[in-house]
Amino acid sequence: MNRERKRMWTKEAATLAVLLLGIAVGSHATILGLTGTSPNPTFNFIAKQGYISTPDGNSIYCWGYANGATGAFQLPGPTLIVNEGDTVTITLQNQISIPGPPAVPGPAVSMIFPGQQNVSASGGTAGVLTQEAPSDGTTTVTYTFVAAHPGTYTYFSGTRMELEVEMGLYGALIVRPAGFDPNVAANRRAYDDPASQYDHEYLYLLSDLDPTLHPLVEQNKLDQYDNTTFFANNWLVTGRCFPDTMADPNVGYLPSQPYNTAPLTHPGEKVLLRFIGAGHDLHPLHHHGNNALMIAKDGRLLESAPGVSGPDLAVSDFTETVAPGETIDAIWVWYGYHLGWDEYGHTLGGPGPFQPNEIYAQSTLASSIGVADTTISVPAGTGHAFLPPPRTFRAIIWGAGYANPDLDPNREVVTATRSLTNPDTFTITRAQEGTAAQAWSVGSIIADTDHGLPLPVTMPSIQNLEFGQYASGSPFLGQSGALPPLQGGFNPYNGYYYMFHSHNEKEIVNNNVFPGGMLTMMGVLPYGAPIP
Amino acid sequence: MNGMRELGWAALLAASLMAAPAARADNLPGSRPPDPYRSRTEGIDIQCPGATDPKAVCVSIACGDGFVKMADGSDQYIFGFQDVAGIDPTVMWSYGRLGAEFPAPTIWAKEGQHLYLTLTNLGMIMRPDLFDPHTIHFHGFPNAASIFDGEPMASFGVTQNNSVTYFYDLQEPGTFMYHCHQEASEHMQMGMLGQLYILAAQDDLPDGTLLGTFTHHTGYKYVYDDGDGSTKYDVEVPLQMSSFDPHFHAADLGIQPPPFATMVDVYPMLNGRGYPDTVNPGGIMNNRNAYRSDIPNKVAQKIPALITCTQGQKVLLRISSLSTTEFNTLTAPGFPMLVVGTGAHLLRGPDKPDGTPGKNLYYLTQTITLGGGESTDVIVDTTNVPRGTYFLYTSNLNELSNDNEDYGGMMTEFVVN
Repeated sequence: MNRERKRMWTKEAATLAVLLLGIAVGSHATILGLTGTSPNPTFNFIAKQGYISTPDGNSIYCWGYANGATGAFQLPGPTLIVNEGDTVTITLQNQISIPGPPAVPGPAVSMIFPGQQNVSASGGTAGVLTQEAPSDGTTTVTYTFVAAHPGTYTYFSGTRMELEVEMGLYGALIVRPAGFDPNVAANRRAYDDPASQYDHEYLYLLSDLDPTLHPLVEQNKLDQYDNTTFFANNWLVTGRCFPDTMADPNVGYLPSQPYNTAPLTHPGEKVLLRFIGAGHDLHPLHHHGNNALMIAKDGRLLESAPGVSGPDLAVSDFTETVAPGETIDAIWVWYGYHLGWDEYGHTLGGPGPFQPNEIYAQSTLASSIGVADTTISVPAGTGHAFLPPPRTFRAIIWGAGYANPDLDPNREVVTATRSLTNPDTFTITRAQEGTAAQAWSVGSIIADTDHGLPLPVTMPSIQNLEFGQYASGSPFLGQSGALPPLQGGFNPYNGYYYMFHSHNEKEIVNNNVFPGGMLTMMGVLPYGAPIP
Repeated sequence: MNGMRELGWAALLAASLMAAPAARADNLPGSRPPDPYRSRTEGIDIQCPGATDPKAVCVSIACGDGFVKMADGSDQYIFGFQDVAGIDPTVMWSYGRLGAEFPAPTIWAKEGQHLYLTLTNLGMIMRPDLFDPHTIHFHGFPNAASIFDGEPMASFGVTQNNSVTYFYDLQEPGTFMYHCHQEASEHMQMGMLGQLYILAAQDDLPDGTLLGTFTHHTGYKYVYDDGDGSTKYDVEVPLQMSSFDPHFHAADLGIQPPPFATMVDVYPMLNGRGYPDTVNPGGIMNNRNAYRSDIPNKVAQKIPALITCTQGQKVLLRISSLSTTEFNTLTAPGFPMLVVGTGAHLLRGPDKPDGTPGKNLYYLTQTITLGGGESTDVIVDTTNVPRGTYFLYTSNLNELSNDNEDYGGMMTEFVVN
């Protein structure tokens, strides 16, 4: 019961927070990382060793890129966020010392930057792919490149990758397009194209880890380290396993895993998902709630005429295959259209408020109609937004002087079908759902909306159900309902939550403990709820 | 805290004992006398609106455990779904005992319809110690509301002897899939997987309707509302990839903890069968009677994977994967595969702001690679394919086996007559 009371209190506190902290409303989630100083950002990395924590109770010895002499070991390496055209300089030193016994110096390490051209490397010793930093703690290798193209990239060690990438020497690199401005909607873009505009961005740096290999490295048994028997049993999103993915960033109990992936949005807002494959295996990353539009791959828009066509080769899918070394940018939006019921639980003519995402398509009457007319027309070029024939759809007509149908007492519900030959003409069945046919003048509004439709089924008694931690107890967005004790509680704004997870389902486990692994929960919060 | 609930159970039990159950249309010859507790129906509520919603289609599915037979003859214990359309709640438990099927019954409907999908949880016969809830996740449903998403962390699972009716306003055609999302790594490995697809409303256009330069005629079928007739097909065959780890299934049957960490699938399947069962056009009888002597065997694998057509037809392969462990590649030497859809979506670039359709991104290929939770729509035009039998098989060649038995696994035949 205490838990229940606490949950209620949390909700009240959260609601209060919305009222008091209006400043948070309208914010846009961004990815945490190091930005340096444009146009010549410089980063000083030191390869260090340490332990990550996994929710199955394990501490796993790893290597990682740390931010400078004072920066702690971390997994993944710092996310580098630079601007298109920047000359990026990264210095690298190597302090890895394998504990053993006996303790021995770690191997040389390096950095490579797939997708960046003309990377110059100096200092250290020559390796197969690039200059390498021996584990003396003092030798400095310097990498420099011009971040010529915006997009999502990765970096990782170019030395003994089968060992060093597995041990954690990888990270994300984000290049902002020229003119990027997080505070100006039109300039909050992933690429130099308006189709890449977004409201919130989240990083899904996907990796997999074999927990039996890491102790062999830790104990200096590298002769037993057999890459051919790799068998992952921990799966990570940006360095953490679920449920740690959902904790705050930089929490004290995860000192080596600073980044979380706890995405939030509002209905209709564009969420840019930056996927990176940083492990050994392909992962089918499934996002519940809606398809996403894959607009870019490996740092390039999917466009037939680069710089001209926009992402005309973009593909809609409900699962993204993220291959090792690959990056994908996808835009995911939850609109809430066409559920067949009002997701806010409102009744027609009720107090509302009418919400922006309730209208699938809207236009006006191009000519007036009488109470007996069964055809309408809308201004030329506006009809295509409605469902094509032979689909029929529910629509509401209301007076132009009213902001929404609830305010017009004469509103009329109709069933409509678009003409086969003229997309701006509709056949309608009048006076549905107890409304009366009206004479409507030119300019009256017609909209395809589920506003006011009741939930078509009766939900079972809560005693017949077992609720999860993100359940609100209500079918409706922004509303709560009774929940059994110890159920729910993680959803203070009563949002709709959607699992974003590897659909090779063995990967949502923490080494034999379900659930876990490559899993996060996306929250679609009602309008007004703050997004950090 | 559970006082209410326990009181409810006690009152129910008392009421059941007082009123002896009426004679029932139990379809299981030789089954035990009716157990009054098991005729409990108050948690089962199959909601189907009938005439009040002319767009309604109602599906009633139950879930529990059962057995299936692999192509090498071995029995596998499964969790799964079965069709209980028309089964009265008073006899549903006895009807459905140990009746899980693999794959789950295929669900299909038409764009624009309202799907009322009732799931009734019948519990586990072989694992009475488990009290797992179950769900149905309509995988890929656009703009899903979390309450009907069947993902229990964000909503709920339905507990045993109870039902829930999910509602879906079917707005988009395409090849989806469905599965239980409760403790998904276990329940999906155990077989709670099925095919789900939505037919395009474009099929119902009036005869003679022009779609650009293409003329629609009654009887034409399309994968999507393509607006140009480019996804027209003649024959459709849904194919779902899946795979089992027999050690995992044995552990569940043997009341052991689920061995997630050692999960390796060695029974790769299409439509719940390994070759040569894939080309058996009939159902496959299971062997559940060996595990429960009072329950006769049942055809628990009802969906063949054999593809047959006549030369000249366009064959739609609705390919999906619900493997819980890996990616698989299907290859088909000898006939061209045109990919026209992925993720229950026409493979077409975004429409322009003025409504002009985007670019068709269809492509011809010889291989289809899918991970768990991925689907694609492939059209095979057999106009220039010589008559004969072809193989559609995984080019992950180690998966052409039924456990230790070679020459099996994820393979089927494509017969052009």
